[in-house]
Amino acid sequence: MFVIAGALALAAGIGLALWDRRTPDARDLLALSLPDTQGASQALSQWRGKVLLVNFWATWCGPCREEMPEFVKAQRELGPKGLQVVGIAIDQPEKVSQFATELKLNYPALIASYETMDVAKPLGDSLLGLPFTVVLDRQGNVAHTQLGPMKPAQLRTIVGKLL
Amino acid sequence: MSIGSPPRPPRRSARVIAWVALCVSTMLAASEVLAQNPLPPDRAFRFSAKLIAPRTVEARFSIAEGYYLYRDKIRFTAEPAVLSVPSLPNGAVKDDPFFGHVETYRGAVVVNLALTDAKPGQQIVIAAESQGCADLGICYPPTVQRVTIPIPEASVVPGVEEPAKKSWFD
Repeated sequence: MFVIAGALALAAGIGLALWDRRTPDARDLLALSLPDTQGASQALSQWRGKVLLVNFWATWCGPCREEMPEFVKAQRELGPKGLQVVGIAIDQPEKVSQFATELKLNYPALIASYETMDVAKPLGDSLLGLPFTVVLDRQGNVAHTQLGPMKPAQLRTIVGKLL
Repeated sequence: MSIGSPPRPPRRSARVIAWVALCVSTMLAASEVLAQNPLPPDRAFRFSAKLIAPRTVEARFSIAEGYYLYRDKIRFTAEPAVLSVPSLPNGAVKDDPFFGHVETYRGAVVVNLALTDAKPGQQIVIAAESQGCADLGICYPPTVQRVTIPIPEASVVPGVEEPAKKSWFD
């Protein structure tokens, strides 16, 4: 009886975890319009039709900075095939600008506040941790979300399937 | 009850409660493991504060294993009182390629804060702002945690009101 009850509880737990990972909706994210480092407003909807990788980051977040060269590489190599990387920095524009220059960032760096990150909560970042990455297919459906850095191979596999 | 009667088996309701508790805890454990959830910041960087002397508050961050706080992101404020914050203890030094010299804390950070105008009987709220990261590669937003400290009445703890200085020869 113990074994059956334990197995049922385990199954319920797995069910709970899977239910918690139900496909989220990216409408609020795609409705964002944020300033870039020059102060010009950029609507995320302008990249509709592309495979969109949105990366929430900050200069004060070490793990964020460490994974960004991989996004630069992915944008350079996969951009012509339809990938668009967009960084949303929870940071001061001057710091973002300085880091973007140092890294030779080849994709837009938009500036946002923590309030803006509320769009990431229903996508799986309830703690507002950084880095947080969302990959959308060409139709704007969420294909992958990740709290914490993406491994280069994982990035290529996920994006590769959508291109 | 007569002497020598056999002990009664546990009541059925108690057994049911035990079963439910077991099932719920197993469910939660399974869900937690699958999700591999990082701790929320107020559990990763647990803040506590207590009065250790009439005008001294011991402020403490207990940092969970695998998490660290940035020294220069820690701020303390008190309401309604004025805090004098000493320089924070040295942390582990890390050379950050972008920010240069950065100090971090692991384990615990303890700082004694001086309350300069707290009155006996007041409720003082100590707010501690901090920002840190987890080794699994996640950084948290700046977080504010608050602890309310009751300042005892002068009659309870002598010394909350400074006693008049007396000379040994009075």
